[in-house]
Amino acid sequence: MSMELRIENLSKTYKNGVKALDNVSLTIPAGMYGLLGPNGAGKSTLMRTLATLQEPDSGSATLGDIDVLKQKDEVRRRLGYLPQEFGVYPRISAQDMLSHIALLKGIAKATERRDLVACMLKRCNLYDDRKKALSGFSGGMRQRFGIAQALIGNPQLLIVDEPTAGLDPGERNRFYNLLAEIGEQVIVILSTHIVEDVTDLCTNTAIIHRGRVLYQGRPQDAIAQLNGRIWQISVAKNELSDYERRYQVVSSRLVGGRPLLHIYSATPLSESFTPSAPDLEDVFFTKIRSWN
Amino acid sequence: MLWQVAWFEIRFWLRSGMLWIFLVVIALLICGAISSDEVMAELSFSNIYRNAPFAIANYYAGMSVFTLLMTAIFVNSAALRDFTYNTHPILYSTPLRRRDLLLGRFFGATAISFIPMLGVSLGILVARYMPWVDQERWEAVSWTAHVRGILLFALPDTFFTAAVLFAVAVVWRRDVASFIAAILLFTGRAMTGLLFQDAQSGGIRALLDPFGFRALAAVTRYWTVAEKNTLFVGFSGLLLWNRLLWIGVGCAAFAVAYSRFSFAERETKNTAPELDEQVGMVSPGARATPARLTDSPWAKFVGSCKLHFRGMAKSTAFVVIVLIAGFICIVALAADGAQFEGNETYQIFPVTYAVIELIRGTLDFFLIIIIIYFSGALVWKDREERMDEIADATPTPEWMSYAARLATLIGMVISIQAVALVAGIVDQAIHGYHRFQLGLYIHELLVRDASTFLFLAILAFFIQVLAPNKYVGYFVFIAFYFADIYLWRALNVSTNLVQFAGRPNVVYSDFFGDAPYRWAWNWFTLYWLLFCVLLAMATVMFWPRGKQDRWRSRIHNAALRFGPRWKTAAAISLLAFVGCGGWIWYNTEALNSLLGPSDAERIQADYEKSYKPLDKLPQPRVGSVKYTIDVFPTTRNVNIGGEEVILNPYPHALGEIHFSLDPRYDTSIDIPGAALAKDDTRLSYRIYRFTSPLQPGEARTLRFTVKSKNRGFENNLSNPQIVQNGTFLSNLGPLVTGANYLAPIVGYNYWRELTDSAARKKFGLHEVDLMPSPERHCTDDCRDSYIPGHSDWVDISAVISTAPDQIAVAPGSLVGEWQQDGRHYFEYKLDHPSMNLFCFASARYEVARERWNGIELEVYYLKEHPWNVPRMINSMKKSLDYYIKNFGPYEHKEARIVEFPRVAGFAAAFPGTMPYSESLGFIANLNHPDDIDTVFYVVAHEMGHQWWDEQVIGANMEGATLLSETLAQYSALMVMEKEYGRDMMRKFLRYEMDLYLAARGQERMKERPLLKVEYKQFYIFYNKGAVALYYMKEMIGEDAVNRALRKLIHQYAYAGPPYPTSYALVDALREETPANLEYLIKDLFEDITLFSNRTVEAMAVERADEKYDITLTVETRKFKADAKGNETEVPVDDWIDIGAFAKPASGKKYGDTLYRERMHITKRNSTFTFVTSQLPEKAGIDPFALLIDRIPDDNMKEVALQSAPAQHGQVH
Repeated sequence: MSMELRIENLSKTYKNGVKALDNVSLTIPAGMYGLLGPNGAGKSTLMRTLATLQEPDSGSATLGDIDVLKQKDEVRRRLGYLPQEFGVYPRISAQDMLSHIALLKGIAKATERRDLVACMLKRCNLYDDRKKALSGFSGGMRQRFGIAQALIGNPQLLIVDEPTAGLDPGERNRFYNLLAEIGEQVIVILSTHIVEDVTDLCTNTAIIHRGRVLYQGRPQDAIAQLNGRIWQISVAKNELSDYERRYQVVSSRLVGGRPLLHIYSATPLSESFTPSAPDLEDVFFTKIRSWN
Repeated sequence: MLWQVAWFEIRFWLRSGMLWIFLVVIALLICGAISSDEVMAELSFSNIYRNAPFAIANYYAGMSVFTLLMTAIFVNSAALRDFTYNTHPILYSTPLRRRDLLLGRFFGATAISFIPMLGVSLGILVARYMPWVDQERWEAVSWTAHVRGILLFALPDTFFTAAVLFAVAVVWRRDVASFIAAILLFTGRAMTGLLFQDAQSGGIRALLDPFGFRALAAVTRYWTVAEKNTLFVGFSGLLLWNRLLWIGVGCAAFAVAYSRFSFAERETKNTAPELDEQVGMVSPGARATPARLTDSPWAKFVGSCKLHFRGMAKSTAFVVIVLIAGFICIVALAADGAQFEGNETYQIFPVTYAVIELIRGTLDFFLIIIIIYFSGALVWKDREERMDEIADATPTPEWMSYAARLATLIGMVISIQAVALVAGIVDQAIHGYHRFQLGLYIHELLVRDASTFLFLAILAFFIQVLAPNKYVGYFVFIAFYFADIYLWRALNVSTNLVQFAGRPNVVYSDFFGDAPYRWAWNWFTLYWLLFCVLLAMATVMFWPRGKQDRWRSRIHNAALRFGPRWKTAAAISLLAFVGCGGWIWYNTEALNSLLGPSDAERIQADYEKSYKPLDKLPQPRVGSVKYTIDVFPTTRNVNIGGEEVILNPYPHALGEIHFSLDPRYDTSIDIPGAALAKDDTRLSYRIYRFTSPLQPGEARTLRFTVKSKNRGFENNLSNPQIVQNGTFLSNLGPLVTGANYLAPIVGYNYWRELTDSAARKKFGLHEVDLMPSPERHCTDDCRDSYIPGHSDWVDISAVISTAPDQIAVAPGSLVGEWQQDGRHYFEYKLDHPSMNLFCFASARYEVARERWNGIELEVYYLKEHPWNVPRMINSMKKSLDYYIKNFGPYEHKEARIVEFPRVAGFAAAFPGTMPYSESLGFIANLNHPDDIDTVFYVVAHEMGHQWWDEQVIGANMEGATLLSETLAQYSALMVMEKEYGRDMMRKFLRYEMDLYLAARGQERMKERPLLKVEYKQFYIFYNKGAVALYYMKEMIGEDAVNRALRKLIHQYAYAGPPYPTSYALVDALREETPANLEYLIKDLFEDITLFSNRTVEAMAVERADEKYDITLTVETRKFKADAKGNETEVPVDDWIDIGAFAKPASGKKYGDTLYRERMHITKRNSTFTFVTSQLPEKAGIDPFALLIDRIPDDNMKEVALQSAPAQHGQVH
């Protein structure tokens, strides 16, 4: 049972004129799929559209035989969704809330629901706090709750929007393990602006910027395209603007208090530049600066 | 710094639109109200200048209550802004001082809250320039009145509300707390009104109104029209104390807020636990057995309901609203089922329908608040808590999300009603009333009312679903709610098919339950239910899901959702709705006729315009009427046949006879030797022309039939007098709602005229139709009594048939009773010719009978209401005894009281027969000994009419009611005096005087002296008349007054035309009055005379023989008032009582009289001394309320006990 999510020519313009999706076409197979893009790139719009929560202006999306934009209920029966931001009802415990969501997802039998909820709570390590009010949870706990609810009902399409926001590095790793395990059989779409997440996890990725797909494919292929074209140099702070003017600076970060620049160049540069092995971050920045 | 904070606050709001919108809204409200005749009439302000100082003070005081919510918004925002926008960590770490922050914010917010109040003045100033206003109703702008209004009400009220709400906001730091505090202020004010409604606690009631409105009402209670137009409300007395009290409370509240305020962050119970952060997620070893996904909408529905129900029940707003509502409801129930009739509070037995109405009256407001508030809360719940994306992505159909929330809301409302239902039953049991009508409770509360709540909830959900946010939703709903109530009337549309959830008004009665209304109500309910089903479907189609930023996508989604099953359901519902509407239309408008509200008024106006001029034409007079009446209770129909003898008493032949008809009946008239000349079906007027003119002295017999036409069902019951059990029809006119013409009325019927002055003006009728002034020696002008219909003393008999299990009653002796063809027949015949008024009733009655001196005393009553029957019989006996001895013979062989359903609430007198409403006396609970025994009093009054009205009736002139109502009042007072003793009369006199004084300040035309009282001036001929005649009796003696009355009987009983005028009574009294007291006639009957008696000091000193020396210092002033209430002081030369009362025994209201003496007072200040055997509680002037006194409350004063007289020695 391998499903494929096909997105064709999705476009969406908001009332304020922002083009959130601009003719987006993607094919997403089973496995982990990373949507990479800076804040405001249109990732959340795309994910909400796939989660049946938003109407595009035009285009289509199909999950296997299901028309995502029309057969919403069919999609929802197969869907696990973790929104980027969410809240919960006040004065209600984690256990009750999760049980309610399980009910909404169609687990009608109370006994089954109770077992499932207990299991999910244990799996996300919330079991000890299950009777506490959700509104009092810390960011990490709340995110774990979000993951727990998304996993209920064995979804075939799991959409997680910026799932690692608010998680510490340890939690993030554990979360990815969980996802990776599930991602073997189902479609997992993961949106993030953190490049490493995609590199570590995803077999396929798309880079989105200003509503447009800049790259689609395996992360390794994208990196391979940059082989030999990324150079790095450590400069003094006052030289920074000078370099930015003269070179195509991919990124700049401080190392030991001095800016370390990555520079894109198809041709070799002078000796003061050392070649650097490209990573997905370089791909990302080169793509969004549309130099290739 | 303080002023900078305040100024910042002020600037913040000055720039916001909201402040100015509020100002304009208030100005528009006031401007609209003040320039509208209808609203002014509603407020009883139509008699004074639109911008009279009294009116201005009232608008300011009234608006203070209204602006409460606006103040709440400003103050709450000022107090909580830092927390709302999370700026407190920044702001509170600055060196800003607490004093500057709190005072500054508070002053700023208060100043801003005050600005909308200025809309009152703005509205008043602008209103006079509206094109439709009548400039004569305005006086020059009185800036003093505006300034007083601001200083006395706007500023203190704003300060008080702002301080309390600020304190609440600072202490609790929650929006909901402020919201609740505002509701508490609002309802708390209503509560104090409810708790202290009897006259004795008027002072407390006035003080406890935080907005000063009731204090204003108390201070101006007896103001006359002239005073309302000229006097300013002052900073004194009750009003001053009220203002000081609440400013003090405001300061105290602020002080509390100030002391409780802290810059520190509040500890929250919800701090996140940090314990297990390092543990993180366990490895995915624990894997669930995959649970089966099953489609069980029912399980989802029940689960969702439970969740929402719990969430709602736990929310603070809900808990508090329910607590307040429950508190008010229980207080009202515990208050013994007090009921207002006129202005008098008396107790009733907690019959189930009364308890239900009490529950409705107290609870419905809150239930509607709950529906409005929680419809918004439930629709927006997911989005507000940001649960929407998770919940919306689950495979939950929209209808389920909707249905679960709707069911939760309605379930909550019904649970509250159910609790109230139980409370009602407990209340009945506590009061020893054991006829628990559980079925009625359930039907009225859980079906009838709950259906309204369901409809409102569906509408509210619909609006919330379409609204861009919750608050717009609230606003739209409330705007719709009120527009829907008032708009249709303005558009002259009265069908319930258009007013949302419109259904016929149902009046439940123990006679017939709701039977006459049932079919119409059920059909309209079905109609609105179907409408709401459609509305609910639309709501589901547009139910918010996901991020819907555009209408296009919402419509797109709705189209997606609107699948074949929905389409079928919608089509079926739509068809059923249209079909049901058509059926209702057919019944209400094709089978029956339905007029718009102003159509009905227009017909009345046209009737007056067209036919009043013909009223002067001489008409044949009615000599006798023989009725044949068939009552069909099950089909609600009545057929009246009759033979009427008409005769010509004039010296010339008559060519025409005119009839006014009742449009609700099919009438046919057959007159020998006459043909129909004009048939005005619209105005229900017919003219027959005699082909052979009616010669002088000639009599002819005409036949008529009057048939009711109950067909299908009506929009609103046009004739609730014809019912399954308790049909009661009478042709008594102006005092009574729902008079029927049992026979065509000869000539013009002035009882059909429009009486509301705004309506009269609208149709171009002169404002009041004045009766002619009375003439002392009156012949031709007094040809008619004030009963329309061109008849004198008429012999009436009737054969009435009804259902076999019902008894039919009509005036006169029962001369036959038989069963025939499955119907029950009764034949009645008057013992003595009477005025041409008739009534009959048919119901399953119990009859109580007793014989007294050859007169049959009967009470026809429902077996459910037996309590006061013995009182009624007792009152009839005592009345007959006194009246026969003092006035003259009783001309009937029977005296009977007949209970009729509460669709009308009066008691009236027909010859020997007195119909008495179910709601008026039969359910009165008179077990409290000091209350006024209204049943005894009313029966004595109606018995009095057997002489005054039945025997002596006034000509159709001003003062006519002096001969009937005033004398009936006097008669009743005398029976009461014999029953309760002379000293106890003060409670009746005081009661009558209060009614008179309060009503005269609301007089819309001219106050008249008793001699020339208009027939609509109830407060003069009932209330003032009673006091005046009783004072007459006190001054010239009972024998003298009764001699005068006997003379009246002797001269006028069953005589006429010409009929007597008020001069007949006044002159008869004058003859009995000694010369030195003749001024009384002028004071009491010809002028409007008022006293202002006051006890300045009342002191007691104990004597050696253990008695007490009492020294009274009193002030007496006397005034003559003109028609507008302008008073002129006149010298005092009157006989006035002084006296002293002992402290009442515990549980009693009235103490024994310790001293009573009449003094001749000729100067303003007098001092009296007398001795009492024990220490009085109170002493003073006019202790028995015999004189009309401007302010009766200050007549008596608490007696101050002085220490022993030995101290006098030291002074020397």
